Amino acid sequence: MTRPRGLVSFASVKRRPAFALLASVAFSAAAAQTRSHDFYVCAAINRDYVIGSRIVTLNGLYRLGGDGAWEHFGVNDTTITALAFDPRDRDMLYTTTLNGLWTSHDGGRSWRIPTGPGMTEGRDVSVDPNAPDTVYLALPDGIAVSDDRGWSFERRENGLPERARYTQTIEVDRTTKARVLAGTVGGVYLTEDAGGVWRRVLPTATTVNDLQQSPHDPADWLATTDTHGVWRSRDRGETWTRIEALADGRAWYNVTFDPTDSRRIAAAGWWHGAWTSEDGGNTWSARNTGLPAPHRVWRVGVDPNRGRLYASVFKETLYHSDDFGRTWTADALAGSLVAAFVSVPVREEEVPER
Amino acid sequence: MNTKKIRRGMIHRGAILVLLLSGGVRAGAQPSYENPWTPPVPRNGEDARLAAYHARIDEVFDWRIGLYDPEKPTSLDMAGIAMMLVRGINREAVDARVLELMRDPGTGPFWMFPCTMVAFAGRDTLSVDARGAIRDAWRTTRQLRGDTENHWVMYYVSLYLMSELYPGEAGERWYTGLSSTENLAESRAWLLEWMDITTTRGQGEYNATHYIGEYAIPMLMLAVWADEPDMRLRGRMMLDWIFAELATVTLDGVLRGPNSRTDDTSVLERWNALSSFFSWILFGNTPPTRGYGGWGNYFAVLGRHYEVPEVIHRIATDRAGDILQRDRARTRRFWRYSDELSPPIFKTQYLRKHYAVGSYQGGSSDPIQTHVWDVTWAEPDPRGKHNTIFSLHPHSSGRVQQMYFCTFPEPMPEGVTYEGKPSYNQADKLLGCSPYEQVLQDLDTVVALYSIAPGEDFQQVNGFFSKDLRDVVEHPSGWIFARGGRALLAYRPLAPYEWIAHRHYPSGWSRDTVLSGGRTLVSPHPNNGTIVQAADESEFESYEAFQAAVAALPLDYRMEPRPSVRHRTLRGREIEFAYGRPPMVDGRLVDYGRWKLFEGPHLNAEVGGRRLTITHGRLERVLDFESLEVVDRVRR
Repeated sequence: MTRPRGLVSFASVKRRPAFALLASVAFSAAAAQTRSHDFYVCAAINRDYVIGSRIVTLNGLYRLGGDGAWEHFGVNDTTITALAFDPRDRDMLYTTTLNGLWTSHDGGRSWRIPTGPGMTEGRDVSVDPNAPDTVYLALPDGIAVSDDRGWSFERRENGLPERARYTQTIEVDRTTKARVLAGTVGGVYLTEDAGGVWRRVLPTATTVNDLQQSPHDPADWLATTDTHGVWRSRDRGETWTRIEALADGRAWYNVTFDPTDSRRIAAAGWWHGAWTSEDGGNTWSARNTGLPAPHRVWRVGVDPNRGRLYASVFKETLYHSDDFGRTWTADALAGSLVAAFVSVPVREEEVPER
Repeated sequence: MNTKKIRRGMIHRGAILVLLLSGGVRAGAQPSYENPWTPPVPRNGEDARLAAYHARIDEVFDWRIGLYDPEKPTSLDMAGIAMMLVRGINREAVDARVLELMRDPGTGPFWMFPCTMVAFAGRDTLSVDARGAIRDAWRTTRQLRGDTENHWVMYYVSLYLMSELYPGEAGERWYTGLSSTENLAESRAWLLEWMDITTTRGQGEYNATHYIGEYAIPMLMLAVWADEPDMRLRGRMMLDWIFAELATVTLDGVLRGPNSRTDDTSVLERWNALSSFFSWILFGNTPPTRGYGGWGNYFAVLGRHYEVPEVIHRIATDRAGDILQRDRARTRRFWRYSDELSPPIFKTQYLRKHYAVGSYQGGSSDPIQTHVWDVTWAEPDPRGKHNTIFSLHPHSSGRVQQMYFCTFPEPMPEGVTYEGKPSYNQADKLLGCSPYEQVLQDLDTVVALYSIAPGEDFQQVNGFFSKDLRDVVEHPSGWIFARGGRALLAYRPLAPYEWIAHRHYPSGWSRDTVLSGGRTLVSPHPNNGTIVQAADESEFESYEAFQAAVAALPLDYRMEPRPSVRHRTLRGREIEFAYGRPPMVDGRLVDYGRWKLFEGPHLNAEVGGRRLTITHGRLERVLDFESLEVVDRVRR
């Protein structure tokens, strides 16, 4: 999931060197001047991998370098589904995986798994930018919350159904501390007290796959679902309206705003491929010409530095487009599945050095 | 991503097997696999049983060590290393190979437990460097806990034992980032929880054709190597628990249905599964599969530390009388689209000397690999025999896979077939359960009803008729009669059908099918049903008399709006069974809610009781997980 967190600033944070395991990235001077975010993917490139065998490919976390190349760092985990940072300390990483949640306090040099067998198969993780000690974890059987930077978690599921709490996605409202939206098997749920009580704001009969808050208008939210199409809220997630131009019946995996252009939105699904809007969501077009057929688009994401649209196609290479989907160019990460695109504002002290 | 994980266990085992059997290495002899098989005469003398058991263990050792080629270090895998460590031979080669293997470690339970076995087998004899390499692998390589019960058993037994082997170390010395104490506590807690749920609500992966190894081997490791006396005892008690059940659900050592998890080959050729290795090594009552089942090698490594109790041995080998066993188990956990996390399974097992009938009540149990019911007949030598008959709805759907896995609806079916379950999306497949199948078994009668929802991919029911059936007759009454071994079989399709040649995927990696020699009865109707009656040939004067008796049985059925059957069975029981309603036998509802955890002549346990009584004749063993006691007694 793309996570533009444009309101978060790292400028005042004194920090130690981050990402020691990150291969050195040669940024051009031009790129450094315009680069506002780090852009990451969580990728699985499982050639012939089965549990127990050796991993022969590099999986896990990649960061986009200024030269457009993807640089692997941190971990080689085939099962990473999401990545989040502590906005105060970008050496503090959270990743959801098959094992649950892995955390790193040193920029990926070392990792710890704070979740035991009762919190497994993590789906998504989100840090409250206004209360960064608080971390929200989406699980196949509900939601867990940490108030101590991921050292320990507790279940906070009051208001969720007794059974079928499957939670695919969780997203903090960046404007309001403790206000969080969760996409579950029963719809979109909202809490305003850090998970103390959840109330359903959009009912569904199948899973909500993605939730995104606009980087341009924090009241503007999008939700994608398995069978109910794509929905939009203009009032901070309180009420929702289906986007009629995007078909229902078949799953939409994710949706993303373009942080560089408030008019541009993209959505993706296995049957649908990539669809984009360039008028703020009023009209939509299929943008699959140039993608391998069938257009089994796994995820779309936008590089917040240059508005480049990326599409992960099932077991194909990553593709990118500089005209928001009209034409596509094969990128790197052949044979990959990108589970999440994640963007984080660059640390201001880093920019001049590059 | 989760689409990648369904068949990994099978695939990895296959990879191991390929390694074991790789070309260029002179394969050692596998006498019990290769030689003519003569069913053994049961011997209950303690010394004779033990000597025969040890001889079988030695056979595995000799074979595996015989595969080692000094010119090809890769001929030595973890099992071979562990065996050489046990026998104290080839130490230099073992050290070198361990160092090589640890340079590129694996990443999950199927790597962890063999590595743990080597670490313990060589803890006093491996070189300092080799031991250091093993230790370092557990610091640097992320291990996946997996997402199935057998994965977790292997994972946590491995982590438990390794945490005991390296006590008092800090988090930075472990891939988990947790200290030895924390790893041990987490592992111990989960293992106790697993034992608790298994002994109160039943196994999740019940009667698994292959995954029995993934439970038995870790339990044996726990029984032998755990520092804590109670964990050693628990490991030994769980082995008894697992093998007692194996003994009651096998026919001359061959596992039959129902099976929580199995594969195309194991439902076709019932003997050809890892479970046969365990029957062979423990009971000596069936030949082992090729390469001793791959994982069976690891059981052999520690086999001398465990001896199956006499009472269990007798259950497996003495089938003088008929056995009716009713047991509970659990489905795999449902994440989505279910009112219950892990609904109960109700298994019926009816075993006679020459055939066995087994089933659960139908519906979803595992998204891909379940086998719901069958009649399997005994063959003196089961190798290559397709000695079974059953029907199924060949269900396939992304939605059901979403229920059990954290996946999106579309890619998983493709991922499953890509990764070693090639038949999953085939209309003529013989493997899998369906939410649109409901089953009633009463002794040796099975009624399976189907009501396949509109829009489902395959609107048909498949019945399997093997190459080893004899004298197949499509009778004017609508029954199809056949003989299998010394069993007489009657199969009644309740809707029109056609025949197609059965094509089989010979392995999980096959892309092409081969003709099995059998036929599939395809009934292309969404509302459907199958009735199977079985009998022993000694019960009728002739095959024709059996046909006449079955054809004369009162049978009233309808397929619309939902299938329903009223039928008098060969045993004179009146069955009323309608899809979507509780079945009735002799006018009484079959009340699954009253079923015990185990109930039958050999195994008995209450739901929630944590206490299994294993009985054969006057011999009895009680496994009491509540008091952590094992009691052996001879009833008066």
